[in-house]
Amino acid sequence: MKTIFGYIGRALITFLQELSSIYYLFLETVAQSIVLFTDRKKLRQARLLEHIDEIGARSLLLVLAVSVLLGIALTVLVSFQLKELGALSYIPGFVAVAVFREMGPLITALIIAGRVGAAFTARIGTMKVSEEILALETMAINPVRFLVVHRFIGLIVSLPALTILADFTALIGGFLFGSLRLGIPADTYLRETLDVLMFKDLYSGIVKAVVYSVVIVMVGCYRGLAVDGGAEDVGRSTMLSVVSSTLAIIVFDTVMTAAFYG
Amino acid sequence: MLTVRDIKKYYGSHKVLDGVSLRVEQKKITYIFGTSGGGKSTLLKILIGALRPDSGEVCFGDTVLTGLTDRQLDPFRKRIGMLFQHGALLNSMTVGENVALPISEHTTLDDSIIKIMVKMKLDLVGLRDFEDLYPGQISGGMQKRVALARALALDPEVVFFDEPTSGLDPIVASVITKLIADLNRLLGITCVVVTHAVEEAMKIADKIVILYMGKVLAEGSPPREYGPGCSAVHYRQSRRPDLISCDEQGLPGRPAGGVDIWSEPTVSALNGNTVALVQKAPCHKRCTWNIVEPKYAPVFFFWCHSLSSW
Repeated sequence: MKTIFGYIGRALITFLQELSSIYYLFLETVAQSIVLFTDRKKLRQARLLEHIDEIGARSLLLVLAVSVLLGIALTVLVSFQLKELGALSYIPGFVAVAVFREMGPLITALIIAGRVGAAFTARIGTMKVSEEILALETMAINPVRFLVVHRFIGLIVSLPALTILADFTALIGGFLFGSLRLGIPADTYLRETLDVLMFKDLYSGIVKAVVYSVVIVMVGCYRGLAVDGGAEDVGRSTMLSVVSSTLAIIVFDTVMTAAFYG
Repeated sequence: MLTVRDIKKYYGSHKVLDGVSLRVEQKKITYIFGTSGGGKSTLLKILIGALRPDSGEVCFGDTVLTGLTDRQLDPFRKRIGMLFQHGALLNSMTVGENVALPISEHTTLDDSIIKIMVKMKLDLVGLRDFEDLYPGQISGGMQKRVALARALALDPEVVFFDEPTSGLDPIVASVITKLIADLNRLLGITCVVVTHAVEEAMKIADKIVILYMGKVLAEGSPPREYGPGCSAVHYRQSRRPDLISCDEQGLPGRPAGGVDIWSEPTVSALNGNTVALVQKAPCHKRCTWNIVEPKYAPVFFFWCHSLSSW
């Protein structure tokens, strides 16, 4: 029994320590972002557009492909029940609400956590192992500004944009299946969708995306910076990064959905 | 220039450095030797401010570095350079961008001037026209030279070298060693080198510090000024003052009144820890060794054997 409590206690302490480290990393990142925007030369050197392209544009195809399939899958699932009731006209509204309020931001964030967050950890972790980060510190270069800030800004810009695109792509997927396969007239589909959607559905998704991007960057970069060993630890940290950010995204999603619509 | 006083460092319960004290003289080349796990790299990391000691202090001039925050250490870090064991070049940047990085970060110079400076620094290490290559496209020896150019980018007062010749073939290793000597003699840069390479050190070191089990075992000057055939290191035995006297002439050969540590009785006496210290062996003033830790004296003999064979 003592061993179990000891294990739980140690795990809790480790969790709280990591949480506080991520919090301080976030504060430092915000502070260094402000420093970056006040220094024109450093801002130019940061090549933010390149990072937005790397993080956002190169994930676009994957996000759009998953979204269109998500829209179709949701429509199929809902139609299975509503067909029995003869209420097919409710499908567009249901799909729109599900996508904008929940599935769009969540699925997009999970894709990016797997694709980009893991890459952050692996890249920074490898730099840590090869003493590149120590070299930066020795040159009096702040590693957070050099390694985290542009990723932070890049993802905060990219993820909401990707989320909006994913939302509309999922709607298109649902629309195509609904009109072509289920025979819902196109104008009815559009009217029903617009009737149900509110502006709040759009901005709540954007707010969620911003929060998720902070989670993905902070967890991904923290796990990379916390690598303390060789290649094996880089692999372990990358795995932990994906698991932690997935879990954190779902927790934040639940909290925010309850806050917006509870 | 750089003074280390009674540094102690633990990793958990494992004591890595146990009261290390040493001085790095300005415009001199100081080599730090030691066995693997002897605390060399930890000491180097403490010297550059990357690790904090558990006790003791590191002073750079009049400034005490220990206890300063990272931000407070930045002015000191701009005055030093560091060559890491594997170069630690940023792989996502070209050679030119790597060398330009500290300059562009800490100066307001125009890009065109930075480019010229980068060319000059690369020229200094014999790597002209390599700016556009990535670290992965050049050899290990070249990477170390690029890293050295980067370390020199801000014209540092001190450059630290972490095993600069490890993993390099003898020819490239001697090129790096010559670079270190040139930096010191031509540019007056203070050099602190951590290495296993005794041979290289013997050619250029002004001072050698031997670390063993986290302590400074001995420090002194390399015996390269010994005459041919003189391979003895002399000591005085605290409990036997009659052995203190050495031949004042010293060289060449062994002193008449001194003790040859390579003789069997002496070594056994040392193993019995009867030696308190060796202080500036009077037989030859140019070769002064100070055994700080008498209980490790037999290890010192091993080192002396390596040193004296060069």
